[in-house]
Amino acid sequence: MDFTLKIWRQENRKAKGRFETYKISNISPDCSFLEMLDILNESLVNKLSHPVCFDNDCREGICGMCGMYINGHPHGPDKGVTTCQLYMRKFTDGETITIEPWRARPFPIIRDLIVDRTALDKIIQEGGYVSATTGGVPDGNAILISKHKADEAMDSASCIGCGACVAACKNASAMLFVSAKVSQLALLPQGKPEAAIRVQNMVAKMDDLGFGNCTNTYACEAECPKQIKRSNIARMNREFICAKVGSEESTKR
Amino acid sequence: MKLIQFASITKKIALASFGLFLLLFLPVHLGINLCLLREDGGEWYRNASHFMGTNYIVKVFEIVLMACVLLHIVVAILLTIENFMARPVRYKVKTKTKTPFMSRYMIWTGGIVACFLVLHFINFYFVKLDIVEGKYSASIEKVDKIFQEKAMKLQSGELNEKDQAALMAQYQAISQITPEKMDNSKKNMVNLTKEEVETYCGKDFKHAEPDFYTMSQELFAKKSYSFIYILVFLALGFHLYHAINSLAQTFGLSHKKYSPVIEWVSVIYAVVVPIGFAIIPLWIMLAK
Repeated sequence: MDFTLKIWRQENRKAKGRFETYKISNISPDCSFLEMLDILNESLVNKLSHPVCFDNDCREGICGMCGMYINGHPHGPDKGVTTCQLYMRKFTDGETITIEPWRARPFPIIRDLIVDRTALDKIIQEGGYVSATTGGVPDGNAILISKHKADEAMDSASCIGCGACVAACKNASAMLFVSAKVSQLALLPQGKPEAAIRVQNMVAKMDDLGFGNCTNTYACEAECPKQIKRSNIARMNREFICAKVGSEESTKR
Repeated sequence: MKLIQFASITKKIALASFGLFLLLFLPVHLGINLCLLREDGGEWYRNASHFMGTNYIVKVFEIVLMACVLLHIVVAILLTIENFMARPVRYKVKTKTKTPFMSRYMIWTGGIVACFLVLHFINFYFVKLDIVEGKYSASIEKVDKIFQEKAMKLQSGELNEKDQAALMAQYQAISQITPEKMDNSKKNMVNLTKEEVETYCGKDFKHAEPDFYTMSQELFAKKSYSFIYILVFLALGFHLYHAINSLAQTFGLSHKKYSPVIEWVSVIYAVVVPIGFAIIPLWIMLAK
């Protein structure tokens, strides 16, 4: 298969970026999107020019490192997959593919298609964890959790923090990410003791970092490679209202 | 960047709450408007307008309503600016993500409705606030009472010459009043301009009310106005459909069993309410 690639090139955070056009041919339909970029980079290196920089790590769709805005879709046109799991057979022969980095104020560009997603880590640092307790090992059956709740929590926990929700949202809102992280703990008894302060802190951090406000358009849900549901956002809103109204704990800000 | 220093969810809840109040007011307004369909010369409609204009509880709600309209618009504009600023560099390829049509254009459908509200206020509400001149109605009972009082004064010789002349002129005018200036029940004078109120009711008459029935009939007689009116309610329908769904989500009301019910309610509400409003100019056009 042959493709025309329009790729965003930018030297560093402050440099002015531009689109570069590359022709690439003889690509196997079974080639993954990242492998296709590897082939492109090899040819660029052979021509002694700088390869296209992009984030990637596990290449099996579980780490959340890769992420590009491909032809108007975060992670490309396929449903429920990350960029590394996107295959060239999803495109038509001779197609022009435009590749852009995630665009959001809290995601500054490092180089080319790599953006700095530290903002998501900063939100996790505000409460996306359960404080470690010491003591003996508790019995496995000591804390009972219903199957339904456990499944829901597991679904929420499958968020890999790639930032596709932010990239897809017309407002660059991180509500789906934050709500998944709030939900996975809010659903389980282990998360309950810190639930009220967690949601307030994480939302406050999200706002401070400059993410937009959710307008319930659900582009995030449509593009999430892990198919995190919008009900998580409703749960976070519920948690937030309950924490603001019913708890004396509040964010120190 | 934050233009309003509250948590994003707090701002969403505020916007939704103001919207909810407006949403609940719509059926009340619709109920009154539907009185226009009765062919009673506007009796029911005028009674309803009189109630809405004079009841003290309604007056309190009127202030709340106006505050909600204003706050809903201001907060929505500020949030939209905040959201726009969250992505300083836009994508070259426009998004291809499939999202509900109504949800993407809330600020635009809302803007259309807000523009119409300005027109609506100039046509009706500002007449009530006496900023704009319109048509007025007056209760004959009240006019008569004041007339009788003055007549008593006249008999006892308390009125000066100027007032005597004015009273005689008023008597002359009322005795020659035409039938189109009276409503069907013959209890009210209607379709009066400000000058006619002075002529028929006396200069110091303070009980004249805006004659919204005549004003609305005059507006709906214009085809262009009716056309705009119907288009605006189409936009409102789009706005309402996403509004109810979005409201539930913002308040955290998402449930496997109840969410489909909310979905249906939003569809029914978004269809029935705008059609209810839009049917009135259509009816008036067809009746002619």
